[in-house]
Parts: sequence; C-alpha cells; structure tokens
Amino acid sequence: MKRFFRLCLSLGALLLIGTLSACASQPSSTAHQRTTVTFWHGTSGASQQTLNQMIKDFNNSQSTYKVVGSSQGDFANVQQKITAAAKSHTLPTMAQTTYTNVPNYVRGGFVTPIDPYLSKQTLGKIDPSFQSATRYQGKTYALPFSKSIRVLYYNRDLLKKTNTKVPQTWSDVAKAGNRAKAQGLTGMAFDQSLSSELDSLAQATGTPLYQHHPKLTSPEITGATHVLYDMLQAKTATTAGTDGFGNVTFFKGKTLFYSGSSAALSIMQASTPKGLHWGTAPQPSYQGKHRPAIAGNDLVLFRSASKAQRKGAAAFMQFLLAKKQTLKWAKATGYLPLTTTALKSQNYQEYLKQHPLAKAAAQSLPDGFLDPTLVGYTQYQADVNQMLDQLSSGQTTPEKGLAKLQQQAKTDVSNQ
Amino acid sequence: MLMLNAKPTVKSTLKALLYLAPFLIITGTFTVWPLIHAFLMSTYTHYNYYTNKVSALGWGNFSTLWHDPNFHLACHNTFLLVVIVMPATVALSLLIALGLNRSRRVAGFFRAIYFLPFVTSTVAVGLVWNWLFRLDGGLVNHFLGLFGVKAIDWLNDPHYALAALMVVCVWQGLGVNIILFLAGLNNINQRYEVIATIDGANPWQRFTNVTWPLLMPITVLIVVNTSITNFKVFDQVYALFQGSAGPDNADLTLMYYLYQKFYMENQFTVAAASGVVLFLVVGVLTMLTVAYYQHRQHQLGGD
Repeated sequence: MKRFFRLCLSLGALLLIGTLSACASQPSSTAHQRTTVTFWHGTSGASQQTLNQMIKDFNNSQSTYKVVGSSQGDFANVQQKITAAAKSHTLPTMAQTTYTNVPNYVRGGFVTPIDPYLSKQTLGKIDPSFQSATRYQGKTYALPFSKSIRVLYYNRDLLKKTNTKVPQTWSDVAKAGNRAKAQGLTGMAFDQSLSSELDSLAQATGTPLYQHHPKLTSPEITGATHVLYDMLQAKTATTAGTDGFGNVTFFKGKTLFYSGSSAALSIMQASTPKGLHWGTAPQPSYQGKHRPAIAGNDLVLFRSASKAQRKGAAAFMQFLLAKKQTLKWAKATGYLPLTTTALKSQNYQEYLKQHPLAKAAAQSLPDGFLDPTLVGYTQYQADVNQMLDQLSSGQTTPEKGLAKLQQQAKTDVSNQ
Repeated sequence: MLMLNAKPTVKSTLKALLYLAPFLIITGTFTVWPLIHAFLMSTYTHYNYYTNKVSALGWGNFSTLWHDPNFHLACHNTFLLVVIVMPATVALSLLIALGLNRSRRVAGFFRAIYFLPFVTSTVAVGLVWNWLFRLDGGLVNHFLGLFGVKAIDWLNDPHYALAALMVVCVWQGLGVNIILFLAGLNNINQRYEVIATIDGANPWQRFTNVTWPLLMPITVLIVVNTSITNFKVFDQVYALFQGSAGPDNADLTLMYYLYQKFYMENQFTVAAASGVVLFLVVGVLTMLTVAYYQHRQHQLGGD
C-alpha cells in the first residue's frame, strides 16, 4: 500500500511540475519568442490549402508573430466550437465566423473591436460592398474574409437546344422553365434553402427581408415569395433537398439553370461531368432591380487574447487585405477580392478575361447587398428557413407562411 | 480477505473513496454536474449564457415549449419513433437471434454482419443510407420497382422521411440486441427444452412456455435500452438529412430540437428545458416498463 501511495505521490508531483512548466512556456512577447496567434477556421479542400500557404507566407514575412491556423470542420462547426469555447474560456485569438453572429458575441462579452489595432487607412481599403457588415454599434468587429455572391449558372447545351437566351429577369426564368417543362426538362435548380433567393428578391422590391421590423405580409414580399413558390408549384423548379446544393441536380444535365453561390465555382469546375458545358451570369433582376445577396464568412477577434496576440491578429488581417494576398485568395478559391484596389486592378481584370466564369460574381458585386447586423438574426433566420421549407414541400402558401413568420419575427428581432 | 472482514473505519472508508475517486470524479464532472446544471438552466428566464449572469428565474422556458408547435412536432415524431422502432427492433433481433442460435455453423459470420452497424460510424451509415434511399438510382426504389411500386423520394417527401429514419434506426439497433438475445438464449438450460419436447410440446409451445419466459430479464434490458436509444435519436437524422431535420421538419426529434435550439438558435435555456422534459419522460417510462415486467415476472412465478 505504501508503495502505491508513494507512486501516486510521485506521479502527482510529476504532473504538477509538468503543468507548471507548461504554464511558464505559455506564449509571451519576449524579445526572442514569437507571439502565437491561434486562428480557428472552417475551410477545407483547396481553400484550406491556400489558406495554409498564406499563413505560412505571413509567418515567414516577419519574426514577431506566429499564426497557427486550425480547421474545425465546416463553417457551422466553427460556430459551434466558438459557442462552447466562449463558455469554457478556451477561445483562440481569432476565428472565421459570420458577421451576423457579432450581436450575440458582443452580448456575451467575448469579442473585441478591431479598430484599435487596424488603421483607418487599412479598414478603408475594404470594398464598400462589404463595409456595412464590418460594423456594429459604431465599432468594427468583423473583417470580411471568404465572401461570395449569388449568381446564375446555366447549361449552355440545353439553352441552345431549347433556343433560350440567358435570362435577365425572374420572369424570363419562369417562362424558360415552362418551355423546358414541355420538353421534359426542368427550368431551375435551387439549393436546399431558398433563403438567399428570397432575400435577393425582397431586397429588389425595396422591402428587405431582414430588418428590425420586417414587413412580411406586404404585397412586395408576398409577390417576391410567389416568384419562387409559383415555379416550385408549376414543377419548373426544384430544391436540392438532402443533396444540400442544387449543383448536383444541375449536373445531371436536365436542368437549364442553377441559382447558387459564386463560392461553388471552383467545386463545380472540378466536378463537371464530361460533355456538359455551362456558363455563369449575374442573378436575374426583379421589378427592374438587380440586388444579389452577398454571403460568406468574416474574421473576428476575441477579448481573451492578450494585447500582443491582438496586435498579431491585426497584422495578419492586414496581410490578408494586401492586394497580392486577397487576389491570390480570390483566384484560388472563387471567393471575391476584398479591397477596391484589388477588384479594379489590372491583374484581376486580366484574370477575369482569362476566366470568364468568374466574371458574373465580380460584375454583380456593385449591386450586391448584405443583411444588416441584427440582434436575434440567427433565430429569425431559422424561422425564415422553416417557412421556406414548408413552402417548397407544399405544406403552406406564401400568404399563410408569411403571416406566421410575421408573428415569429416580433419575438425574434422586433422586440429585441 | 482481511479487508473484507475488517470493520469500516474512517481510514478504510477514505481508502475506499480513494479507489472510487476516478469513477466518482469522472461521473460527477461529466454526468451529474451537467444534469444539475441543465435543471438549473431550464429555470433561468433571463440569462446570459456566456457570462453566466442570471437575471430572472421562472417557468417561462417550459411555457415556451408548451406553446411551440415545433416542440409538439418533435414530441410527436419521437414517440412515433419509439412506439414503432422499439418493438420492431426487439422482435426482429429476437427472430434473428433464434435463427442464429439454431444454425451455429453460419452464426459467427452472420453475427459479425449484424454487429457491423453498431460499430460503424453513424455518419458513414447515414451517407450509405442516403444513397440507398435516393430517388434516382437508389437501391430501395430499384427493389420496390421490381414489384411495380412507383419510385418514392424517401428523403425529400415529408410523408416518407420519418419512415426512412425508422428503417435506419431499426437496422442500426439490431446488432447489439441480437448479441444480447444470443447471450440470453445461451443462458437457458437446454434441459428445460428437452423436457418440454418429451412432454410433447411443439416448437411454438416450447417457445411461448419455455424460451420466452426465461428470456424475460434480458428482454426487459433490451426493451428499456432500445427505448432510451430511440428517445435520443440525433446523429442518424443529422447524417441522413445533411444537417437538417428532414423536409419540413418531418424528422425533427426531441434531441434534434434541443440541438437546434442550442446551437442554431442560441436559445440555451429553452434547449435545457427540452432536455429536462426528455430526461423526465425517459425516466418515467423506464420505471414504468421495469415495474410492469417485474409484475409479469412475479405472475409467472419468477423471483
């Protein structure tokens, strides 16, 4: 027994020493030691490889900071990890998440503004299309990073076969769908969720879907919802269901169009079936206006990070906004360049000439919009998605669904 | 041996506690404390989850659940799942176990096959079933087509999506239950059956009068275990429907509801309240089942 106790005692002592030495070796900003900046992201595949390379380049470009990136799975996984880590006080220095989460994070008191660490000049470089989403309560919390916009993918072969032009408006899409149906084809493939499409259509009417007091039963939003609902009812459009994204249906070669994110571009290029030819165009307009929704993820800085770490994260953010880096990121992943200089640069224009498929997204950007940063956004979004889910399965009508959503919006966003 | 006969002293009790410490610490930290915390959290009506600041207490979260049609739907789906999947799993695994018990030569092979789903990751299982249930080229529809049944969009039609989930749950539950039933069957003394045969009992009579009553203890375990498993279905839904609760929430289970509220809608206290409801329902039903079987066993003359 004595032996056992002695063993326990020595093991305990060893553990204690180990812990103490680990504490002592925590990153500190001494002259010889680099400050470690931990960075959680949700990229995978080609994007992850590019990001890893960029992190490596940043680490090699200076000797003060060391960024350690780690993929947490997909974007939803990162957000779940943040929720858990905020509670257990184990947050990294910075993470990739959507700006719409910022109100929750501010309420939780674990996110910190970036303004003190990034110059106005640097923040000013961000393209105006992304600017609105960076700020909340007068402070900059989210730096745009992996940004995409809704575009229209079309099947060149089927358009030729059905003698259809690339549609300019949603009513062109509906008409083309009717013609296609007569030939045993489908007009449009949507993603599992129709929320980006409805968001874009509502924005075009001047009555945004996401706002503090949404007017969901207005003729504008009802009309916008009918655009999608009527096509689904007429079976000239389908939703992706468990496929998740509409490109799966689109690539079966029996659908004229796919309304999707420009971020799908690189994946689609890599998985195009043999003999299928497709192109991209800006999303169709509605009531004479073209307002495609901008989506994607941003970077946030956590309060638990030390001052040195925050400065390191800011230095890395500044590095990512440099023309060379944001162009490299955009070209490799299909996301949009983040600064006006990069977007207008000759380098990028040349690239678009050589890669016409990427043109639609870049062209659409000036018309694009971002949902406002609202308290209760995530819950409201879940209710919007549920309503759209019921619409696509024919369980409700736009009128009934929107009336119910209007009630839910009161508790979700209006009374917050 | 000395230890066993020794009278408990403060020292010996402390020693015993020391031995038990690893178990107590782990269970306390990961089971008991979260349970208490969930109970507490379900009563917080104004609560900042991140800063742990509680501003108001009450039953508001339970009243939210009471009025939430999604929670009703989740309860409805979960009860259907338990009521249909549990008996189906138990009956099928008993049938297969009886078969395997008879032909011992192939038993090892089939045992491995039936046990595979239990040890395979649910995500992989979900993906495979996703392919099997596909509208175009799915094996299930191909098979039904042989009998002239029109192809069904199992995973995207709200009328069939819950049935698809049930099939996966039954299939996944078989493995471990077959093993348990086989263990139960092996424990039955062969002599009872021999005597029954001598008495002229036919196979059905032998099953109802000898095997089934003697299997009662293991059956209770399996029924309770399978019910609890099916009350907690989550990952099958997540994997089968690519991170959604099926078309028009057709496969929204109580666990999925909890996940949705917690991680997707950040309604932490409502999620905790739904967890408490789930805990109470499972607890009460388990106790009722055990009480009923004890009563039956008593009637059958067991101990």
